[in-house]
Formats: sequence, structure tokens, C-alpha cells
Amino acid sequence: MSTAELSCLNFGTLDTIDVRGTDIEIFRAGSGAPLLFLHGIDSLEGAAAGIRELAKSFEVIAPSHPGFGASELPSYMDRVDDMGYFYLDMLDVLGLDAPAIAGTSFGAWVACEMLTKEPARASALVLASPLGIKTAERREHWVTDIFMISSQELADRLQVGPAEGPPLSEMAEWQMRRALRADEALSLFGWTPYMCNPKLASRLHRITCPTIVIWGDRDAIAEPEYSLRWRDALPNARVELLAGAGHRSHFDKPAELAALVSQFVAGVAK
Amino acid sequence: MKLWHFTEQAYHPAWAVPGGLRVNFPQYHCDPIEAGQLLNRYLDEYLLADELGLNIMVNEHHATATCMSTSVMTTLAILARQTKQARLLALGIPLANRANPLRVAEEVALADCISGGRIEMGLVKGVPLEVVVSNRQPTKFMDRFWEAHDLIIAALSNLGETFGWEGDHFHFRTSAMWPRPVQQPHPPVWGTASSAASARMYGKRGYTCATFLSGAAARSVFNGYREAYVEAHGKHPDPDRLAYLALVACSSDRNEAFRRAEEMKKYFVAAPRFDVQFRNIRGFNPVDANLRMLLAGPNAMRLRMSNGEPLPANPSVEDYISARLMFVGTPDEVYEQIAQFNIDAGGFGNLLMMGQAGELNHADTVDNLTLIAKEVAPRLAELPDVPPLEERYEGVA
Repeated sequence: MSTAELSCLNFGTLDTIDVRGTDIEIFRAGSGAPLLFLHGIDSLEGAAAGIRELAKSFEVIAPSHPGFGASELPSYMDRVDDMGYFYLDMLDVLGLDAPAIAGTSFGAWVACEMLTKEPARASALVLASPLGIKTAERREHWVTDIFMISSQELADRLQVGPAEGPPLSEMAEWQMRRALRADEALSLFGWTPYMCNPKLASRLHRITCPTIVIWGDRDAIAEPEYSLRWRDALPNARVELLAGAGHRSHFDKPAELAALVSQFVAGVAK
Repeated sequence: MKLWHFTEQAYHPAWAVPGGLRVNFPQYHCDPIEAGQLLNRYLDEYLLADELGLNIMVNEHHATATCMSTSVMTTLAILARQTKQARLLALGIPLANRANPLRVAEEVALADCISGGRIEMGLVKGVPLEVVVSNRQPTKFMDRFWEAHDLIIAALSNLGETFGWEGDHFHFRTSAMWPRPVQQPHPPVWGTASSAASARMYGKRGYTCATFLSGAAARSVFNGYREAYVEAHGKHPDPDRLAYLALVACSSDRNEAFRRAEEMKKYFVAAPRFDVQFRNIRGFNPVDANLRMLLAGPNAMRLRMSNGEPLPANPSVEDYISARLMFVGTPDEVYEQIAQFNIDAGGFGNLLMMGQAGELNHADTVDNLTLIAKEVAPRLAELPDVPPLEERYEGVA
């Protein structure tokens, strides 16, 4: 895979790194302080607009999670908990001690699984539309079950505007493969308990770096009640609402999101 | 050829409700009194099949108005007690949707004891959309299927001390079957396949392999089985290792047979009525399998009629006969259609016959089963074996 094929990522370089025997696809763009960007349920390519803006202020390092994109999935890995340890190993491979970390949606869950294990490995943490803490309590559900709606409805709900890109059946074969791998990985990590680690909320107190939680005010995946649960689990985090943004705030409001992130990280550095 | 009676035990009164009938179809559409009457009626028809000398096949589905048998072994436990001679085929027990393989083994052993050793144990993956109902993990489905299979076989056939099991997917401290099955080392195993590749897995093990409503594709499924069987066992499999499932509508009056077929045909309309998001559950099919399906396009999987044309959008009974999904007519006609398909498919020893389907009523079902058992089954029992393919080619040469 190269950025020639993934044309939405033509503003940086796409490489493969070896993390303890697992090949991981990694995209790098921009210069400045390092920012580890962890993509959401829309995959690395779905985050392109947001990364492009962030790369104006940061050296963005954006891997495809194991099982997504062209990244291998280690045979033992079936929980985001496993992925947390894996990403700590990846920081070592990348020579990053404590970068700023930004995760969106599913990627915010990954970031939390890392930092509840080794809180000192981030200088600042950005959680945009995070998933990962309990998404429901018995019959009360706060997060749309992506496995109970059609691909078309999911594509429509992820952002405020219309979804970009062709439907699955009209994609090139390599695009199909990436989309199908993402579906499989989301099913592996998010099927049940739905999109969460039920123990995560009780571990979040371990995250001590400055943290900002950003929600789109038009998120059609996570309900406001869910953001209150995050506020309770991370009482010291700053909370920001992005006007006019859906679950993919990096797609709907990339410049506004990047401004918020760079201002927050700069404030932390002072 | 042996005949097996099968019905999906549908709650067809709810089929008039528009929209999907499976997974998310609310249960307020079910009148439990009417459901009970229907279930007892279907059981009566199974008992009649037993009296008529037919064998019996039962299945299970979940959260659907197309099949009320929600536990194949529960239904078979009733029939184990109430029937006298029929072989009792569970086809199948959806292993990868079951939480506890030892519970499956216990239920099989119990029913095998009660029936005096008449259980045929169909071990199937389970239909993809019902992973939503079981909420078992869609990924690694086949790994889980085979581990469950291994554990069930180990539990049923164990003649040594009790054992514990620490697998990738299942963990049990101890296993002891009380009772253990009458059939040793375990009841015969059946599987289902819709491709040559999946049939090979059963051929290698010598299990009976069934293919459902696959028409012309049955031939390649059976060929895959035979090749793998010959490789593993050094001889050709008996035809009774292979089975084909289709609907059968029979009457001494041809027009009446077609009228019955129209009632049964409603099954084909009801069965695929479910919402689009349940058509391909994320993570269920391996990426490569999904990719092959996408690249092959929607027409690749369509059933074909005898002229090679794909089955049209709203098929007639004649179309279904041509595609070999239905055998319809007088006893002579039904016999001829089955005998011809037996040759075309390369020979199979079991016809899994939906003798009731769709909205076919009790009186029609009774007459259908009686006529088939008396006038078609004896002739199918005498059907000559189809020689293996290479011998036929040699004969021509």
C-alpha cells in the first residue's frame, strides 16, 4: 500500500513498522511536536481530513490499528485491552516517550487502554467522541449499535454531511479488502460487550496527564447521556462541544478540531 | 434412497405482517395459543411420518416466524419418546451459536437413550443472522465450531475416566455423560455444505454431508465430498453419505399436486424476509470469502434452472421444479424427477424432504406424506446406485 493508492493521504508518507513481529501500517505527516493519532471506526483513511489539519501543527504519527487497513492482527489479540499493551510496545519501537495522543471514537478507547496501564506515556490526551466505557445498562442504550443498522445507515450517521466514497460493491479490490478488514476488526473488538471494556471506567482515574474530551453537538452515534458518563469517569478532564460536528468531528469540522487540539496541547506545554 | 420428512414448523399466520420476519420481528405478533396448536399439528405429522416408515429431520432457528423449533434437541426429545422406528436427524445443532458444547452432548445422549439409539447428530455452524440472537462472537466462527465438535465427540465417546477441557474457546473442569449414548462411539454425524470446499471437510471425516436447496450446485458439492472421502479412506463413499434437501408436493391428481406446491412455495418467499443489515454480519465471513463474493457479483450465487438461466425474481412452481428445489406431481412424476436428479447429481442416498412447507395445511400434508410413503418411497428404496463418475466415462470410452 502506498499513498499513491490511498490518495486521500497524499500529504504524507505511508510506511510499515515491525512491532514485536507484527507489521503495522503507519502514516506520518507534518512537523512539530509528535502527536500519536489513533483512528476511529472510520479507519485511517476516514481520518484523512482531520490528520491533514493536525499536520499543520504537529508531526502526526497515525497507525492503522492491528486488523485494520494493511496492519496485521496478532493471533492472540481479541480485546482492546490487548491493543493497549501493543501500543505501549509500539511507542518504544517509535522511540516516543510521552507524545501527545489523540484518539477519536474507537481510537479514543485504544488511547485509554494504553494510558490506564502506563499513565506516564502521554504528555496530553485528546479524546474525540470516545467509545470504550460501558455503552448501555440493561435496557438503556446510549450508543448506536453499528451491528444492528445497515452499512448505508451507518455511513450516513457517522457525520453530519453525506458520506464520502463509493459503496462497497463499487470499490476497487484493495479498497474492498481494507473495508472488509475494518468490519472484521470492529466485530472482533466491539461485538460484545458492545464497544466497551466494562472495567475501563473504573481504571480511568489512573490517567493523570491533561485531558480534553471533545464531542460533536450533532453526534448521531453517542447520546448526550453517554458523554455524561465520560465526564463522571474523567472528572478532571476539560470538555468541549464542537458545534455542527457529528461523531466524525475530524471530518465535519477538521480545522476547528485541529485548532482546539493545538491550542490545548500548547497550553499544556507551557 | 431413504426419505426423511422435514418441516420448519412455521408460524405462518404472522407472515401477513409486512417487513422482516427474522431477528427483530416483535413477539406480539405471535398468538401463543395458535402457536401451540400449530406445533402440536407439526408433531402429529412427524408421528404420521414415523408410522408411514419415513425418517424424520428436525431443525432449529431463533427469533423468527419462519421456524418455531427453537431447540432441535427439545423437539427431538419429544419424538424420541413418541416415535417407534424412524431415524431422528437433528440438522442441525448450531454449534458456533451454542454457549456450551457439553450441554449439546448431554442432550444428544439423553435423546439417543430414550429413542433406543435412533439419533443422527447434525452439527452445523448456524446461520449468520442468528449470531445476532445468540450474541456469540461472529469472528473465528469456524474455529469455535470445530473445537465444539471435537469436545462433543470426545465427551460422547469417552469410555475412560472423566476429563477436563481447556481449549481456545471452551473451558470445562470435568465431563461425564449420564446417560451416555446408546450408539457407540457416538451417534452418526451429519454436516451441511453449500460448496465443494466445505463438503470436503465432511468427506475427509466420513460424515454424512447434506446440501440444502442447492439445485445444480449439488453435483459439485457432492463431488467435493467424494474426492475428499476417496483421498482419506481409499474407497468411494456409499451414497448414504450424501443427502439433498428439497420440497416435495405429491397428489394422485396432477393439478392438486401443483395447488399444494403453490402453498408450499410460500416458504421461499418467507424464509429470506429479514432486514438488510442481517444479510452479512460484520466479521462472520472471513475477509477473503466476502471479497470473493463481492468480486463475483450478485448473480454468481443465484440458483439456476435446467436451461442454465438464473431463477427469475418471482419463480413459478415450474421454475422451482426446473431448478430442482421442488419435486411436484403425481407419484410417477415425483419419482421420475427425483430419479433423474439423482443421476444428474452423481448419486445421493438421502432425500431430506420438506413434506410440509409454507402454508400447506394439515389435511394436505397428511395426504402428501401418505402418498409419498406408499407410492414413491418404496421405488426410491430400490433406486440403483449411480456409478462413480470415472467408471461412467470408462464405460463411454
